[in-house]
Amino acid sequence: MGGIMSKRIALIAVFALVGPAAAHHGWGSYDAANPVTVSGPILTSKFENPHATITVKGDKEWTVTLAPTFRMNNRGATADVIATGKTVTAFGYPSTAEKGEMRAERITVDGKTYEMR
Amino acid sequence: MEHAAPAIFVALEQSGLASGIRQSLWLYPAANVGHIVFLFCFAGAIAVMDLRMVGAFAATSPGHVLRGARRAALVAFSGLAVTGFVLFAAEASHVAVNPVFQFKLGLIVIGLINIALFELYTAPMVKDLPPLAPLPKAARRSGILSLAIWLAVAACGRSIAYF
Repeated sequence: MGGIMSKRIALIAVFALVGPAAAHHGWGSYDAANPVTVSGPILTSKFENPHATITVKGDKEWTVTLAPTFRMNNRGATADVIATGKTVTAFGYPSTAEKGEMRAERITVDGKTYEMR
Repeated sequence: MEHAAPAIFVALEQSGLASGIRQSLWLYPAANVGHIVFLFCFAGAIAVMDLRMVGAFAATSPGHVLRGARRAALVAFSGLAVTGFVLFAAEASHVAVNPVFQFKLGLIVIGLINIALFELYTAPMVKDLPPLAPLPKAARRSGILSLAIWLAVAACGRSIAYF
């Protein structure tokens, strides 16, 4: 009884770990051959490590992955620059793993361009 | 799909601690730098022990080599665990389901079991041997296994970002 139960729990644990693993992605999966430019208002803004991210209402809603916050500050792209409501143009590479996500090479806000790499 | 990680890792990522790590300007980069520096120290200490067990530096007393390097390895491993936890917590729900991370954790467990077996059975056999004394086969086996495991762990750690 107990043996079957614990086997079942172990199986569930294995599937819980392995199932989503196939869907997960990392920094290897961006399509540099087909860059995109996304322009529009910033809907949400997270000035966080390991990478700042914003969501932008362009042709559709994009999640734009930016740089680590230390580099963001160094390049002048502070939390205020990418605040919610600002209009941004982001040039970068769409994720091949997650729809609607892109990694920005550079962004332009208020006529100023900030390099992310 | 993104949030299909087990609830405990989602909870960790959403905790105040993890959020504090993400919002700090320097904490995450410091943990990142610290992790690689501790890895360097750990690898050095482990390599000294493993190479001695494989037969290098034969003119040294194995007991003395093990005692000194073991202390350094323990300190470095503690540093690796702390900085590794900081890096993990910030993105727990993503990293937990990363196949390379899971593989790395498995290797670490095997590496720690290898150390435990070595300390229990092999270290007592070699610690009082004089310099230049031949070492038991178990010591050589353990040293080679240890080197292979920890180098693979380091390779996996760097590879997490690409999967």
